[in-house]
Amino acid sequence: MRIANIKLHKPQILAPLDAQPTRNAEMTGVDPVLAAVLVGLIGFGVVMVYSASAVQATTQYHDAQYFLKKQASYAVVSLIALFAISRIDYHRLYKLTYPFLVGVGGLLLACIVGLGHRGGGATRWISLGPVHIQPAEMAKLALVSWLAYSLAKKAEKVKTFTVGFLPHLLVAGVFMLLCMKQPDFGSAVVLLLLTFTMLFVAGAKVGYILGASLLGAVFAVFAVMSKSYRYARYLAWLNMDEHRQDLAYQPFQSVMSFGAGGAWGTGLGRGLQTLYLPEAHNDFIAAIIGEELGFVGVLCLSATFLLLVVRGVRTALRAPDDYGSYLAFGISTMFGVQALLNIAVALAILPTKGLTLPFISFGGSSLIMNATAAGVLLSISRQGPVDARMETAVTPPAPRVEPTEKKGEKAPAPSDLDPDAFGEPALDDASSELA
Amino acid sequence: MRNLDPERAKWIRVRIGILSGIMALGLGGLVSGAYRVQVEDGAQWKETAENQRMRRLHVEPKRGTIHDRNGSPLAVTVEVPSLSVDVAEMIRGVEGQEAQASVLKDASIRLATALTLDLNETYAKLLTKKRFIWLKRRISGDEAQAIRDMSDPKKNPHPVRGLNLEGEGHRYYPSRELLGPVLGFVAPDGLGKDGLELYLDEELKGRIQDVRGLRDRTGRLIFSEGKTDSDALAGHDVTLTIDGGIQHVVEQELDAAQRTYETKGASLVVVDPNTGEILALASTPGYNPNDYGASEVDARRDRVVTDRFEPGSVMKVFTLATALSAGVLKPTEPIFCEHGTFQLGNVTIHDTHLNDWLTPTQVLAKSSNIGALKIALRLGEPQLYAGFRKFGFGETTGLPLPGEATGVLRPKGRPWFEVETANASFGQGISVTTVQLAMALSAIANGGRLYEPILVKKMQDARGNIIRDGVPKARRDVISAQVAHTITEMLTAVVEDGGTGVEAAVPGFRVAGKTATAQKADPATGKYSEDKYTASFIGFVPADKPRLVIAVVLDEPMIGRYGGDLAGPVFRRVAEASLRYLGVTPNSTAPRLSQVTRENDPADATLALLKPQAVAAMPAPPSVFGPPAANAVKVPDAAGLAARDAVRQVTAAGLVPEIDGTGRLVRQWPLPGTRVPKGSAVRLVFEPAS
Repeated sequence: MRIANIKLHKPQILAPLDAQPTRNAEMTGVDPVLAAVLVGLIGFGVVMVYSASAVQATTQYHDAQYFLKKQASYAVVSLIALFAISRIDYHRLYKLTYPFLVGVGGLLLACIVGLGHRGGGATRWISLGPVHIQPAEMAKLALVSWLAYSLAKKAEKVKTFTVGFLPHLLVAGVFMLLCMKQPDFGSAVVLLLLTFTMLFVAGAKVGYILGASLLGAVFAVFAVMSKSYRYARYLAWLNMDEHRQDLAYQPFQSVMSFGAGGAWGTGLGRGLQTLYLPEAHNDFIAAIIGEELGFVGVLCLSATFLLLVVRGVRTALRAPDDYGSYLAFGISTMFGVQALLNIAVALAILPTKGLTLPFISFGGSSLIMNATAAGVLLSISRQGPVDARMETAVTPPAPRVEPTEKKGEKAPAPSDLDPDAFGEPALDDASSELA
Repeated sequence: MRNLDPERAKWIRVRIGILSGIMALGLGGLVSGAYRVQVEDGAQWKETAENQRMRRLHVEPKRGTIHDRNGSPLAVTVEVPSLSVDVAEMIRGVEGQEAQASVLKDASIRLATALTLDLNETYAKLLTKKRFIWLKRRISGDEAQAIRDMSDPKKNPHPVRGLNLEGEGHRYYPSRELLGPVLGFVAPDGLGKDGLELYLDEELKGRIQDVRGLRDRTGRLIFSEGKTDSDALAGHDVTLTIDGGIQHVVEQELDAAQRTYETKGASLVVVDPNTGEILALASTPGYNPNDYGASEVDARRDRVVTDRFEPGSVMKVFTLATALSAGVLKPTEPIFCEHGTFQLGNVTIHDTHLNDWLTPTQVLAKSSNIGALKIALRLGEPQLYAGFRKFGFGETTGLPLPGEATGVLRPKGRPWFEVETANASFGQGISVTTVQLAMALSAIANGGRLYEPILVKKMQDARGNIIRDGVPKARRDVISAQVAHTITEMLTAVVEDGGTGVEAAVPGFRVAGKTATAQKADPATGKYSEDKYTASFIGFVPADKPRLVIAVVLDEPMIGRYGGDLAGPVFRRVAEASLRYLGVTPNSTAPRLSQVTRENDPADATLALLKPQAVAAMPAPPSVFGPPAANAVKVPDAAGLAARDAVRQVTAAGLVPEIDGTGRLVRQWPLPGTRVPKGSAVRLVFEPAS
């Protein structure tokens, strides 16, 4: 069995990365809270896209529901993807890591060498027949899944510079460069943050991360200064009042939207700032939420994203192996960081970057890729809670490895276990096993 | 993480905890930021947002249309598309100088081609990167369609963004000069200036207050909330009582008179005496409201209502009517006219015709000042003044036009002295307006009732609801029908042989009217000027069953002076054309002997009057001077005469002089003795005597 082989190389891993799917995974449900939050966000997104886009859809396409129809169909595809992927054991995805990574890298490259579809001056899309896909959205998930895979595989070696740190930084750097070339500064920033958080969690030396952060900061400053329009936009953001009619028009209008909403908002569909805020249904949808649903709405939205991340982190903590754990944490961070950056930009706390609000902003690539990632997260949550599963999965080979210890333990039947109550003791058991 | 070394697992948990904490801090920062913006500064932002929406309201609702009584448009607002560009929108998302420049270059090539603009200029405009630039105002329909296609993502794979077509209301006067001073014009800011556009501005312009907040960042109206609402906001449509056809004739005649007699100005009103409806209202010089900038301010004045003048002898009509009404004068009673010279106090009053005894009819026909003043003195000052007031002098008529003058009867608010009463009886020392004269005469024509003039026949909103209806509104009964009838009979004598107004006679119809030749007071000396006159004629036709009251006032004619000679022919031609236009045929009353003698063959006249029935359907008679003449006349020989005398002679022959040069007559065409149809133009060339 392959299990045995891997165990030979990395004896500290009980459940190897390419483990076969655990047999009773079907019997455990996904995290219901997480699933409810995800479905709720996608549904809310469709509603908000309609509210924010009706004006533009009417003037541009003479069909108020133009964006609504599109987003609704993306939502249907997303929910199917969410459901389907949540039923796949995430261990199966492990084999797809490299093809996915290389494929996305290729698409990003294709984008900038001229195969991309120009839209708004940037080449962020690739046309596959009638479908336009945005590789940068895929890059986030590809990088997270590769990092999870690689960091889990390298385990203790993550602490080293040449094996554990540099390769990850290089791959991430290539992705970021490809994003910057499009140009898509926002995605590059998200990729950088994701890489650092995952390296940090996996145990990379803090010194390396700080050093790289410093380098990254220098690079970012250079990137901003080298492109005059970015610098001009940065200056405009610093001095928004003066540039409210030109460079800072969008952030200014966005903040005005939040403010106009007040504490309770103008009511769903009653926002008037959609008349002034360009791309309100896209990157600045948070501003319309702020206007129509008020501070209360923003609070609820924040709470929902908080809940999403909390349940994601919980899934990470309860994942059966460190691959799952890293993957779950990486995906949760991906949602959390994007949401934070997007709302911060909408509130003009940060300068404009061009990031979507996960699950809510209009856009097929973003919604479907986020739903795919969420599906993986749900799939991990499905396996998380029960140590018994691990018992059944690992038990067969276990006697061969450490027969004496295993014999002495009386494993309770899986069905009798309360996952939450036994979560921690089970870990203790495993530790004692290893000890 | 069960598979991990517990120590490592513990540290992973700790690190996850640290990162979650950082994210939580970030979220806390966001929420506090949102609290500051939304709750603490919310009210302020809300106000800013509202101001932004209100500030954008600069496009007016559709202005109402002005029609004539037959529905032809006189003033219309056409939505003319104008193209503005939001360059920030055009290059939004395009990063980098070169990329933006190429997008702008591409856009300017496409725009310049579609709109036939200069490429470099267009590019330079776009390079300013402003949020609002007019690219081309008032573009054609085809151009607008090309722009729509260019920016439609469905029709164009690479749409140009940031293009905004906005309908700009442009006021257009399809009939150009026609009714210009009455209509007024609309300034580019959408405010009515002058005339009806000013007076009815509130009604015409529509309401703007309800559309606030419904405009987008380019000022475009987004939520029109259905067509009905834009209708509710649109201005009212106004239908005038003006008849475009008659107005056209009137303006051509007045223009001809102005050119022929070199008047300083002229005004003319045509009223339906039975309702008070104004059928035509003109003053010269006029102007074209489509190009009001090119006109003199003086030309935009509507002289019919704004200019008051000393009316002269036409007032004798109202003096006599008042006297007959008061019973101090019998219709047949002879009045001694003192051989044309009468001493009143230290003032001597002259008549142009020297007479002894004249009946009241003859007082009017010969226009005897002495006769009129004797009648007035019999009446007494209070009664004469009250009589004039009853006829509507000294008060505005209520015409919906700005700046209507009241005229002045008692100069300083005190009763007239005896001399002043005498002067007032023949229209000196008082001032009136043309429209007052027309309305007062209408009261005589319709049997004694003074109506308010109606100019607005109907006003309806954009949904077709009638807002206002121009119903006849009688001010008061001025005189009895009997007196009105008597005066009418007397006035018919004015245009008969021996009267001063023979030139005003309309073949086939009985005309009642009165001429006036009033000396103008010279403001410099305070005395009456020797060479400045107001020549006028007021009259109505047919005398038995009046359809039209026409008042013609010519201000300071340089050539000729007498109301009968100058204003009379204008009256005749306007009356002829208008009657034809209205389809009024000569009634059954047999032509009077005077008319028979003035015509070579009555049958021709009847034929001529029947023939133009077909012409009447047309909006404008084809010729200015040439109403089909029934009779030919001989062109008089005016060689060597001074301009004034030459014109007199030519007009006396029933011809229309066209003047060229000054001095004495050296050439004329047609040659003297030629027989030409009555009403033909005779070209007179003068040269200064060397």
